[in-house]
Amino acid sequence: MMNTSNGMISAPSSSSSPAANPQSPGIKTYFKTPEGKYKLHYEKTHSSGLLHYAHGKTVTQVTLAQLKERAAPSTPTGTSSGYSASSGFRSATARLLGTGNGNRALSFVGGNGGGKNVSASSRISGSFAASNSSTSMTNTNFDGKGTYLVFNVGDAVFICDLNSQDKDPVKSIHFSNSNPMCHAFNPDAKDGHDLLIGLNSGDVYTVSLRQQLQDVSKKLVGALHYNKDGSNKEGATDSTFPAIRDPTQFTVDKAKYSKSNPVARWHICQGSINSIAFSYDGSHLATVGRDGYLRIFDFSTQKLVCGGKSYYGALLCCSWSMDGKYILTGGEDDLVQVWSMEDRKVVAWGEGHNSWVSGVAFDSYWSSPNTDGSGEHVMYRFGSVGQDTQLLLWDLEMDEIVVPLRRPPGGSPTYSTGSQSAHWDNVIPMGTLQPAPCKRDVPKLSPVIAHRVHTEPLSGLMFTQESVVTACREGHIKIWTRPSVSETQSNSSEATSTIALLSTSFPKDNKASLSSKIVGSII
Amino acid sequence: MGAAGSKLEKALGDQFPEGERYFGFENFGNTCYCNSVLQALYFCAPFREQLLEYCANNKSVADAEENLLTCLADLFSQISSQKKKTGVIAPKRFVQRLKKQNELFRSYMHQDAHEFLNYLLNELVDILEKEAKGTKTDNESSSSNGLKVPQANGVHKEPIVTWVHKIFQGILTNETRCLRCETVTARDETFLDLSLDIEQNSSITSCLKNFSSTETLHAEDKFFCDKCCSLQEAQKRMKIKKPPHILVIHLKRFKYMEQLGRYKKLSYRVVFPLELKLSNTVEEYVDIEYSLFAVVVHVGSGPNHGHYVSLVKSHNHWLFFDDENVEMIEESAVQTFFGSSQEYSSNTDHGYILFYESLGTR
Ligand SMILES: [Zn+2]
Repeated sequence: MMNTSNGMISAPSSSSSPAANPQSPGIKTYFKTPEGKYKLHYEKTHSSGLLHYAHGKTVTQVTLAQLKERAAPSTPTGTSSGYSASSGFRSATARLLGTGNGNRALSFVGGNGGGKNVSASSRISGSFAASNSSTSMTNTNFDGKGTYLVFNVGDAVFICDLNSQDKDPVKSIHFSNSNPMCHAFNPDAKDGHDLLIGLNSGDVYTVSLRQQLQDVSKKLVGALHYNKDGSNKEGATDSTFPAIRDPTQFTVDKAKYSKSNPVARWHICQGSINSIAFSYDGSHLATVGRDGYLRIFDFSTQKLVCGGKSYYGALLCCSWSMDGKYILTGGEDDLVQVWSMEDRKVVAWGEGHNSWVSGVAFDSYWSSPNTDGSGEHVMYRFGSVGQDTQLLLWDLEMDEIVVPLRRPPGGSPTYSTGSQSAHWDNVIPMGTLQPAPCKRDVPKLSPVIAHRVHTEPLSGLMFTQESVVTACREGHIKIWTRPSVSETQSNSSEATSTIALLSTSFPKDNKASLSSKIVGSII
Repeated sequence: MGAAGSKLEKALGDQFPEGERYFGFENFGNTCYCNSVLQALYFCAPFREQLLEYCANNKSVADAEENLLTCLADLFSQISSQKKKTGVIAPKRFVQRLKKQNELFRSYMHQDAHEFLNYLLNELVDILEKEAKGTKTDNESSSSNGLKVPQANGVHKEPIVTWVHKIFQGILTNETRCLRCETVTARDETFLDLSLDIEQNSSITSCLKNFSSTETLHAEDKFFCDKCCSLQEAQKRMKIKKPPHILVIHLKRFKYMEQLGRYKKLSYRVVFPLELKLSNTVEEYVDIEYSLFAVVVHVGSGPNHGHYVSLVKSHNHWLFFDDENVEMIEESAVQTFFGSSQEYSSNTDHGYILFYESLGTR
């Protein structure tokens, strides 16, 4: 899985296309879409000598980390909402830690994927400036700013300078007793401990990315350590949680002391949790796991809002749309599921992968060619990567014709309190999990493009403003620049306005229905 | 047997399933192909149940002629009646009988586990059919098993449906549509397992899809249409008309390479989910869910040598059977047997035969 944190890739100074990669024989360095060619820009990898991983046990997660100038004033974002981002990330981590079932994902609230709709545009323009100037730096200065790709493979965490053409990581951190499973970056961490690393032993470290980059050793420096049972080695806080009574039941246990970390433990389900994602406004949390269920929680009330089962098999990844209306999931049924928060059910299946779907993401930087600003015709673009080594791009077309398919009898829709889209409430009640849908009931989508991007099964996908980033299990990362970037040098104000447009062009109270782009089910 | 047995018992502790036995099989020189398949069959609940019942019913005819069925039934009852919970058993009589009966399995050469499974199931069917016919001629007035009595001189004999059929048999329908007159001709065939072609970095779901993909018959491959009374271009499609209760999937990992003049092992990474639904059934059987309960694994880089082990799910625990050795493994360890995404890899343990049990209709 991947997370975007103010992701930005500066335009290449020379647009010469890279030579074919000797590591990926037979794989093209571009792919065509209706909007133009995506070109392979850079590849990031690690020399295999750095690794001592056990076969079949590799998990690669990639995140983008944006280091600002040290002297830079505090960011213009993160304060607009009612909570502090840095304490938020701790609690988010903490709440998902120590459930004893091998969580693989960590997340920062307000950090990775946590930009609030309101502040999204300013956040992005702010970091764009930083990224632009970083292109002028020929040598990476660890004291300075920059955009880094952080990824874990085997027993190591690697850090690459995103904007340098250098393939090799600038830093590797090895863990002798355990493998890193996941990590997250929070640019707004107040104490400077902005990088969070979760190990398969259940331990979590929080460190300063800058500090790691300044250090030349392969060790983790200046880390704060939290272990599985929730104790912090340095602090004396005690926050052990009671044993889980019924592993099939969702339970939330709060820590005894308000200052202890973790602050709470959410026991969600039996079996591993394979991915978690916060909605962009931070209000909802989605989880997917071994039991095949997608679950959506209201984060503040800690209540299950809705959820449903995969067609079959475990779910491996999940991701929210910018506007919080849709969630994508992918899993062992080879399908990409589109879950509607409004309908509280699966509204489409993407069929096209030849193996398990391991990464999904909405392309929030993409704007529909049909968008005329009136919001009458909205299309979502999303991507998926699979263990079939393919990247698939999909379009989800939404019409604004307000014709609910199942308006309750008696005329006016019933609105329950607190819900902005309550006319479906009588169909699927709040707080329930849906069984696997029948095949014939789900509209099917076909991909816009399917392209084999790596030789190894893929593990992650990320959209940034100027590119698509793909990562495989073995820890190779490819950065594909968008057609607009390679054809015309992008300009920041235009890009920013696109984002602003996207985040405001979904009127809250209008029911968008799936249009003809979703074909009837084919058996 | 003591050390390994007690270790497994310790690992299971008070979670050791009531009445269950976990016994490794001794290897009599390259008999791992047999051991791995027998373990998978032992943990195939309906199969074991039927075989133990058969064994109990046949106790009275102690002097009945020995055959593969009686040998297998004896072996299963021997395991299930062990005092100890774990240990090692020598399936000597069964293996001797197998070798006596079929030249193919007589040598000490490496054998193919799928070929053995296929031979065994067909042999069991033959024996059961003969027995059913035998009881009918002895006792013509009624059929005790609810089977139809074959008509004395009828041309169409009602096929005998044995319990092996009831467990493993499915029906495929081969639909051919003439491209000239659009007439669809359907031909049904039964199967005890499905042999699937595999592709690198694919899933079982995708292999099943390919198995049922539409094929166009043209050029020298034209189809004789009864309606047009001539060879015509046609479209052919294979669908599952009746899915079996136990779905056995054989991955075609051994491929004949014409330019080499020999078989080659395909180590492709083919992922198999723990739960599965078939995409290629007729409408009536869509959405039936299957659950994986056993995997026969081929270990080794070539077809002519190597080893077989099996993974088995019993009472929600996964167990690893390697001849005499039985170990408990994590469910997540199943994914280390998917195969390799690189041609040359140190990982040579690949899922070869998959056993799925139907969970009924949704
Ligand atoms: Zn015809």
